[in-house]
Amino acid sequence: MPGAAGEQSVSIRLIVNDRRHQLETPAGETLLGTLRERLALTGPKEACGEGECGACTVLVDGAPVASCILAAGSVNGRTILTVEGLAGTGELTALQQAFVSHAAVQCGYCTPGLLMVLTALLDDTPDPSEADVRRALAGTICRCTGYQQIIEAALDAAQLMIRSATS
Amino acid sequence: MQFCRVRSVAEAVDELSRWGTEGRILAGGTDVMPQYLRGEQSPAALIDISGIEGLQGISEVGGVTSIGALVTLRRLATASLVQLRHPALAQAAAAVGAWQTQTVATLGGNICSAAATADTLPALLVADAQLMLVSKSGRRRVSLEEFLEGPGATALRPTELLRAIEVEPLGERTSEGNLKVGRRSAMDLAVVGLALRLSVTPSGVVSDARIAVCGGTRSPHRVPSAEAAIAGSQLIDGRLDCAEAGAELASAAVPERADSAQYRRRVLPGLLSRLAERCVTAILGAGG
Amino acid sequence: MLGSNPARSDADAKLRGEAVFGADLASPGMLWAAVSRSPVAAGHIRSIDVASALKVEGVLDVLTAADVPDGRTGVIVNDIPFLAVEHVAYEGEPVAMVVADNRASAEAGAQAVGIDIEPTEPVSTPEQALAPGARLVHPDWNRFVVAGGVDIGRDGNVVAEVVHDPGDLDEAFAAADVVVEGTYRTPRQYQAHLEPKMALATYESGRYTIEVSHQYPFRLRDRVAQILGVAPSAVRVVGHHIGGGFGAKLDVSLEAFAALLARRFRRPVRMQHTALEERLVAPCRANAMVAVRSAVRRDGTILATDVEIVSDSGAYANNGPALSSIPMFVFGSIYRVGTARIRTRNVYTNTAPTGAYRGVNGPWLVFANERHMDAIADALGRDRRDFRLASLARDGDLMRNGQPLEEVSILREAFDRVDELVPWRDIVSRNQRQRDAAAPSSPPAEAGADVLRGAGQAAAIWLTNPMPGHATVKLNEDGTATVITSATENGSGAVATGLRQIAAATLGLAAEAVTITMPDTDATGYDAGSQGSRTTHVVGRAIADASAEVRSQVLDRASQMLEAVPEDLVIDAGVVTVAGVPAAGLTLGAVAQAATWSDGPITAGASYVTPTPPHDPACATGMLIKGWPTPTYHLHQAEVSVDVVTGRVTVDRYVVCQEVGRAIHPDAITGQIQGGVAQGLGFALSERVDLDHGRYVQRTFKAHGLPLAEDVPKVEMIVMEHADPAGPYGAKGAAEPPIVPVAAAVANAVSDAIGVPFDTLPITPEAVLEALEAEPNGEAVARAAREPVLNRDGEQERDTTGRAS
Repeated sequence: MPGAAGEQSVSIRLIVNDRRHQLETPAGETLLGTLRERLALTGPKEACGEGECGACTVLVDGAPVASCILAAGSVNGRTILTVEGLAGTGELTALQQAFVSHAAVQCGYCTPGLLMVLTALLDDTPDPSEADVRRALAGTICRCTGYQQIIEAALDAAQLMIRSATS
Repeated sequence: MQFCRVRSVAEAVDELSRWGTEGRILAGGTDVMPQYLRGEQSPAALIDISGIEGLQGISEVGGVTSIGALVTLRRLATASLVQLRHPALAQAAAAVGAWQTQTVATLGGNICSAAATADTLPALLVADAQLMLVSKSGRRRVSLEEFLEGPGATALRPTELLRAIEVEPLGERTSEGNLKVGRRSAMDLAVVGLALRLSVTPSGVVSDARIAVCGGTRSPHRVPSAEAAIAGSQLIDGRLDCAEAGAELASAAVPERADSAQYRRRVLPGLLSRLAERCVTAILGAGG
Repeated sequence: MLGSNPARSDADAKLRGEAVFGADLASPGMLWAAVSRSPVAAGHIRSIDVASALKVEGVLDVLTAADVPDGRTGVIVNDIPFLAVEHVAYEGEPVAMVVADNRASAEAGAQAVGIDIEPTEPVSTPEQALAPGARLVHPDWNRFVVAGGVDIGRDGNVVAEVVHDPGDLDEAFAAADVVVEGTYRTPRQYQAHLEPKMALATYESGRYTIEVSHQYPFRLRDRVAQILGVAPSAVRVVGHHIGGGFGAKLDVSLEAFAALLARRFRRPVRMQHTALEERLVAPCRANAMVAVRSAVRRDGTILATDVEIVSDSGAYANNGPALSSIPMFVFGSIYRVGTARIRTRNVYTNTAPTGAYRGVNGPWLVFANERHMDAIADALGRDRRDFRLASLARDGDLMRNGQPLEEVSILREAFDRVDELVPWRDIVSRNQRQRDAAAPSSPPAEAGADVLRGAGQAAAIWLTNPMPGHATVKLNEDGTATVITSATENGSGAVATGLRQIAAATLGLAAEAVTITMPDTDATGYDAGSQGSRTTHVVGRAIADASAEVRSQVLDRASQMLEAVPEDLVIDAGVVTVAGVPAAGLTLGAVAQAATWSDGPITAGASYVTPTPPHDPACATGMLIKGWPTPTYHLHQAEVSVDVVTGRVTVDRYVVCQEVGRAIHPDAITGQIQGGVAQGLGFALSERVDLDHGRYVQRTFKAHGLPLAEDVPKVEMIVMEHADPAGPYGAKGAAEPPIVPVAAAVANAVSDAIGVPFDTLPITPEAVLEALEAEPNGEAVARAAREPVLNRDGEQERDTTGRAS
C-alpha cells in the first residue's frame, strides 16, 4: 500500500522547470505525488491515477510521461517540465495563446496534460498533420471539448511557430 | 519497501540474488507501478534498472538484430532501423497505449509481464525472437516461445534479468505486418493482435508463413496449423487466398467456446486476409 | 460584443496551471478522511471491526452508523442513510469513515475496516425488481418520506410512476394497417469528469464552511444541512474551479461526511474519492428499457402510440422520480404520434444510485423515438427523411402535457438547412450504389469493399432549465463592474464568457472590465447551479436586468454631471457621452466615484425564474416536472462506415443543426456541440458500464472506453437563431442538448448500413459482427426489410413487424 508504514525513503535529484531539487521521497511515491505534494506544483493534475487519462502528463527530458504511474525514484537526475514551466512568469507560449484564441479550454482539468504532450509534439514534429496531432493526443482524454478546438489550436500554433522561426 | 537503483547488469543481478522473489524489477513501470498503487503487489524492493545504459541499444550482429531489454516502445515505433527491418515490431510497439506509455514502457517489460494481450509478442514470435537472460550463475538463451509459460507466467527465474532480445530481420522477398483490434483507436488492450511474416518465391509460391496471435486467454503464440494452410500456396493474379488459413486460424487460435471468444473467432480470418494482402503487395512491389 | 468571441476569464489561469481546482485544495492543519464501503451489492451487516483500522499508523478514529445522525435524507425521497445501518443496498455504499492525519493513512485505514456482511442475492436489474414476488430492495420503503408529501406513485420496488393514459388506444390499434413494435435498451453512462469528487470542510463559530468544486452550491448547502440536521444558514458553500461535472456534481457526495468530522475534530477535514470510488458511486445516466408500439395507417399516419418505460434508479431515489416526467415531452412533441399512452416507472435495484448526466434520459428517449421512426418508415417502405417530414409536429400542436408547441416549425427549417449542406438523397443514392457494387456473399476482395456505409437522422426538442437565479451587479469606483452570483462555471464558458458578455454589453463595457465572483452561498442570492443549459438564459437574464438598473443609475448620475437628460446619453467602451458630443465624456469610473461619495455606491440586484409554460395539470399522475420551458430545436445527421472485418463503426461525417435563441459566444457553442457529440458517440459506440449481479464490471478507467481524439470527427454545425423574448438578448440554453440526439442518429446510420436494426446500445464491434454473421446476405436482408410489410390479404388483419429486442 503506497504511503503506508515501512516504506523506506529514496533520495532523488531533479531539475524541475529549471530549478534544481534534492529530495527524500518514499520508495513507492509517484512523480506526480512528488511534484504536487513536495514541490507544490499542482498544475499536473491528479485524475484517473492509472496512467490512462493523461491529465498528469509532464515532460521528462522532453518526452511526455504519465507522472501518476511513474516512480519518482526512477527519474533521478532527469529534467522535468510541468505546465507551470511553459510560460513561467512571462507571456503565454504560442501553443497556450492558440488555446485561448481557439476556445480550446473548457473545464481546464485536462489542459495541463494536453499542453505538455502537444509541446512535445511540436518539438518533435514542427509541422504536424492533423493525423499526427490526433495520434499524439491518444493518451490525453478531454471529456469536455470533443478535441476539435484543441487540434485546431495545435495546428495553428505550429504554423505560428514556423512563421516566427523563419521571419 | 526499498528502492534499489542499479547502474549495471552486475549490480542488477547482485540485487536480484539478494531479494529473490521479494524483489520486483522496475523498468518503465507501466505495469508494475499501477499494480503496486492498487495494492495488488507489495514487493520488499523495487529494483530500478532504468539507469543501465548497456541495455538501451539496438544493433545488428551477424545478421540478427539485437535489441536491449530497456529499449522503449517509442524508440521501437520510430527508429528507422526497426521500421525497415522489423516493420511488424514497429507497428506493434506503436499500438501500445499512447505516447506517454511508449516513452517509458520497454520491450523487456512487455515480454516479462507476458500478458495475454502483450502487443509486441506476436511480432517477436514471427521474427523467431531469442531472449538473452543473465544471472549471477551465468547466461542462457531461450526462445520467446519457450519463455512464455502462460498469461503472466514465464521461464524467467527470480534471480534472472532479461538482457537483450535477438530477432531475425526480414529476408529476401519477405514481408511482415501487425494488426491490432481494440475497442478504441488507442489506449486499449488488444482484443486481438495478429502478426504475419510471409515469404514468396519469384514463381509466386509461399515459401514461408509465420502467424502469431495475442489477445485471447492464452499467452501469445504461433499458430502452426494456419501457417501450414498457407505455406506452399500459389498466388493467383497477385493474390493469396487465405480462406482456409483464416478458418484454421480462428479455430486453432480461439479454441474456447465462451461468448467472449466469438468476436475473436469472427475477426481473425478477415485480419489475416488484410495482412496477407499487404505483405503480398509489398513483396511484389519490391521484387516484381 | 454579443456574437463575438472574447477570451474566457479563466483561460490564462487554466493554461498556466495556476487555477486552483477543488482537488488542489489544502488547508493548514487539515486531517484526511476516507470512506469504507460495502464490498457487496446487498446483504446484512453482521459486524464492523474497526480495531485493525485503528492500528494503522496515523489513523485517529473510525466512525460507523452508531456515531452519526440517524434518519434518512434525499433530494425527492428521503431514503439514504448517512452510513449503512444493518443492511447494505449497493456495492460502494458508505459503511464507515476513517479519519487520519494524512491521506495515505486514511485510505489504508478505510481498507482495513473489517466489514462482515452476510450477502443476499441482489436485485440486479429493473426486470428482476418488477418481477412478481421480487425481493424488496427496501422492505421499509413505505416509511420513507417524500419531499412535499407529493404522491409519486411509489409501490415496493417502484420508486416513482408517471402515467398518462387518454384511454382510447384500443380503437386506434384496431383501425391500424400496420402495428410496429420496438424495444429499445440502453446501458448506464459514466460522466467521467476528470477531477475526482472532493470536499474540504471547516467548522468555526457554530457554522460549517465547505470548499468544493460543485455544480450546484445551494443544493449542496441544503443537502448538507438536511443530513446534519442543522439550518441551511449554518452551512456555507464556497465554490472553486470544477474539473468537469456533466451532472455528477449536482448532489451531495463526501461533503456531509467532511463537515461532520470537521466539527468533531475541530480541524479542517479533506476528503477525495479514490479512482475506484469515482466509478463505484458515480450517479450514472440510468439504464433503461423503452418499449414502443405504434398503430400506423398505410398512408403513414400514426394513429396511436403506446409507450412503456422502465428506468433504473439504483439503490436510492436521487432525481429519477422527477426525470420520469420527461417522456411526456419527447413522445408526441417532435412527431405526431397520435393518441399516446405513456407509462414510466423508475425502480429500485441493488446497484449504485443513478442520477444526472448531461441530457439525463433524453439520449435514450430520443434513441427510442428515432429508432422507432426508422422502423415505421422501413415497415411502410418510405424514405426515412420523407417520413419524418410528413410526421413532424406543427406549430399549435399540444405536447402530451397540454403545452402548446409554439415554434416547432423550427425543426422543419432544420431539416431544410441540413439538406442544403448535405442532401439526404445524395447520401442515400451513393450508399445504395456502393452496396449494389459490393458482393455480399463472398469475402471482401477489393480495397474499400469491406466497408458498408449508412446514414441516419435524429431530431429533438430540449428544454432550458428554468430554476431560479440571482445576480448583483456593482459598478466599481474604477469604472469596472463586478457581478456577484453563485452561477457556476462548469467548463462550458457560460460564466467565463457568456455572463460577462451580457453584463458588459448592457453596461457599455469591454468584457475584460467585468469580473464575476466564484460561488459563495453566504454572499449571493440563490442559484440553481450548472444544469440544463440554464446559466446563460436564467442567470443571464438576471444579470441583464440588474445591469440595466445599474445603467439607469449611471445615466441618472451622469445626466446631472453632464447637464443633459438621461435619454440623450450613450455609454460606450466605458465612457458616458452626450449623443453627438463625444469630446465631453465622463468615464464610468468618474461617474461611479461621484455616485459613491454622494448618493452611495451604484449596485443593483435582480432575480429570474422561467415561468412554467401553460399546461394541463391533470394530464398525468406523478408528474414532478410540469412543463418544458424555453425549448430549443435540434437535428443531427450521421454518416457512418462499418468495417465488415472488425465490426468497427467509423463516423465519417456528422452534422448538427441547433437552435440557440441567440448565440452570445459562438466559439463556446461550437465547443459545447463538438463536446456533446463526442460524449454521445461514446454512449452509442464505445463506452461501457455493465452490471453483473449488481456490481460494475468495468473496474478501471481504461475499461470505460471513453472516446479519444482519433475517435471523434470534426462536427459540422449549423447554428440557428430564433431570439427568445424572455432570454437575455434572445439567448436560450445551448450546452446540454448536443448529446441528446447522437446515439439515435448513429444507431439509425449503422442499422441502415448493415440492414439489421440496432435497438440496443452500445453498438460494439462484437454486436456488429454478430449481426453481420446472423445475416450473411446483409444487403438482401436489408432490402427485404424495407419492403412494405402491409398485409396483402385484407385490411382486417394486422401485421406486426417484430423488432429485435
